[in-house]
Amino acid sequence: MTLARALPILKIALLTLFIVFAILPLVQMTMLSFVVTLSTDDSQIGDLTLANYANIWSDPNLRSAFVNSIAYMLINICITVPVAIPAAYGFSRMSFVGDKQLFFAFIAFRITPPVVLTLPIFQLFSALGVVNSVFGIALAHCLFNLPISIWILQGFISAIPKEVDETAFLDGYSKPRFIWTFLLPQIVPGIAVTAFFCFMFSWVEVVFARILTTTNGKPISMAINALFGFQTDIGLVMAVTVASMIPGAVLLFLMRNHLSRGFRVGTV
Amino acid sequence: MKDRTNSGWLFVAPAVVLLSIVGLIPLITVINYSFFEIFILDQRFWIGLEWYGDIIRSDRFWSSFARSAVFSTLVLVIQIPLGVAIALCIPKGKFWIGLVLALVALPLLVPWNMIPLLWLGLLNPETGILGQIMATFGWSIDWKLSAAQTWAVILAMDTWHWTSLVVLLCYSGLTTIPTSYYQAADIDGAGPWQVFRHIQLPKLQHVLLMAVLLRFMDSFMIYTEAFPINAGGPSGATMFLAVDLGEDIKAFNYGPSAARSVIYFLIVLTVAWLFTKAQSVLDTDREAKTS
Repeated sequence: MTLARALPILKIALLTLFIVFAILPLVQMTMLSFVVTLSTDDSQIGDLTLANYANIWSDPNLRSAFVNSIAYMLINICITVPVAIPAAYGFSRMSFVGDKQLFFAFIAFRITPPVVLTLPIFQLFSALGVVNSVFGIALAHCLFNLPISIWILQGFISAIPKEVDETAFLDGYSKPRFIWTFLLPQIVPGIAVTAFFCFMFSWVEVVFARILTTTNGKPISMAINALFGFQTDIGLVMAVTVASMIPGAVLLFLMRNHLSRGFRVGTV
Repeated sequence: MKDRTNSGWLFVAPAVVLLSIVGLIPLITVINYSFFEIFILDQRFWIGLEWYGDIIRSDRFWSSFARSAVFSTLVLVIQIPLGVAIALCIPKGKFWIGLVLALVALPLLVPWNMIPLLWLGLLNPETGILGQIMATFGWSIDWKLSAAQTWAVILAMDTWHWTSLVVLLCYSGLTTIPTSYYQAADIDGAGPWQVFRHIQLPKLQHVLLMAVLLRFMDSFMIYTEAFPINAGGPSGATMFLAVDLGEDIKAFNYGPSAARSVIYFLIVLTVAWLFTKAQSVLDTDREAKTS
């Protein structure tokens, strides 16, 4: 009985410890981002300052890096989600020759490490003329975002009773029209969760981002790399990193109720 | 029941086309390269399976393989139980759930190339929060020369980065359990352990399988985060599979790196196959129980 009484306290203690562990590196990062780490004429190392954040804004490379990151993110979601929805519908409602094998192939591509495919993707994308542009990164990230999107969406679609489909078909709706008018409104939370996961895996990825943007179209992570040099302004590096996490943090906050209501993981 | 109709292919066709461009065509290119000696890409000589033979026979490959296997095992042993435990600890009430999930997921949003830097900064004995705390106790972390401590740093960093994903997946699995199950357990007088063993764990099977798959493969092929900590050192103690491949690619060894990529892809296929097998076993178990 004592255990049962102690359990809630133990739970809170464990959770608190974990949260401290999770945010400790971020606390240090945020603290550093408000400190002068490279002395100038009118400031000493260690002074509190907002200059690092001001410097992000005044550096055209950093400004364009933020624009690039947001651009390739949005393009990636706009490619992934519309392609994933019909596929998820197909996997969840129909059984066709080779469906299990195809799902298996999708999983295999999701877990293929990007470093394995870097060289040919670079060559292929050069031939297609999409290197050094945000479109190239957006396309390359489909490799892992598309399978995971299909997987998540399929769970949401499978949760909708099949009778809904059948009634619509009796009323004379075609399958594509059914997806558009009935299915989409019902899986809005699913689309939001999917988009969030696309964002999460894509925003922070660096392997494809590095090889596909040697001269132009650099995302935030690569712009941070470019800040390292003979005299590295660590405060600026930390400020850029903090700033790069803000869109994600906002999304996370907006998504918190969808995530907490749970999303389903489908099987074929 | 699902409809038996091959028109399903029409619905998955866009996904197949897209993944062919970004996955299948590059993969075939890699397989093709792996049979050639390549100086520059226009000039190449067929050498058959020689690269494969070189890699399979080299001690370096097998020791990297063993290191990656041990690393992934440790990652799973630490992160999966920890993730489940944290998911079970999340309090009830909309406000707290939202707050906790948002805080816990923050590490997932850090650009990967910054993660080693953040951790090295944190452990710095003069300026890092953790380094200073440890210094007051007289402890120091030596991630440059001690293999065990380099491993500890990389493991801590990976746990910090990715346990949140396990927590998110597990928590979403837990929320699919109807409250009536808990009420029934309460009436039967089941303790917390029995509730976990007989209600929560079975419901978590699918998400756990997914978490294990993602964590296993991503840690088995860890690259971006592990390399900057100590460049594979001390004396190769943290040379993992993907680090070896990265070195080959940086040196423009097209043939050997292609052969290595194909070997890694075969490992990926094996793992994916085991995963689908495990999933179908779970599904048949469930059907056997419900029927």
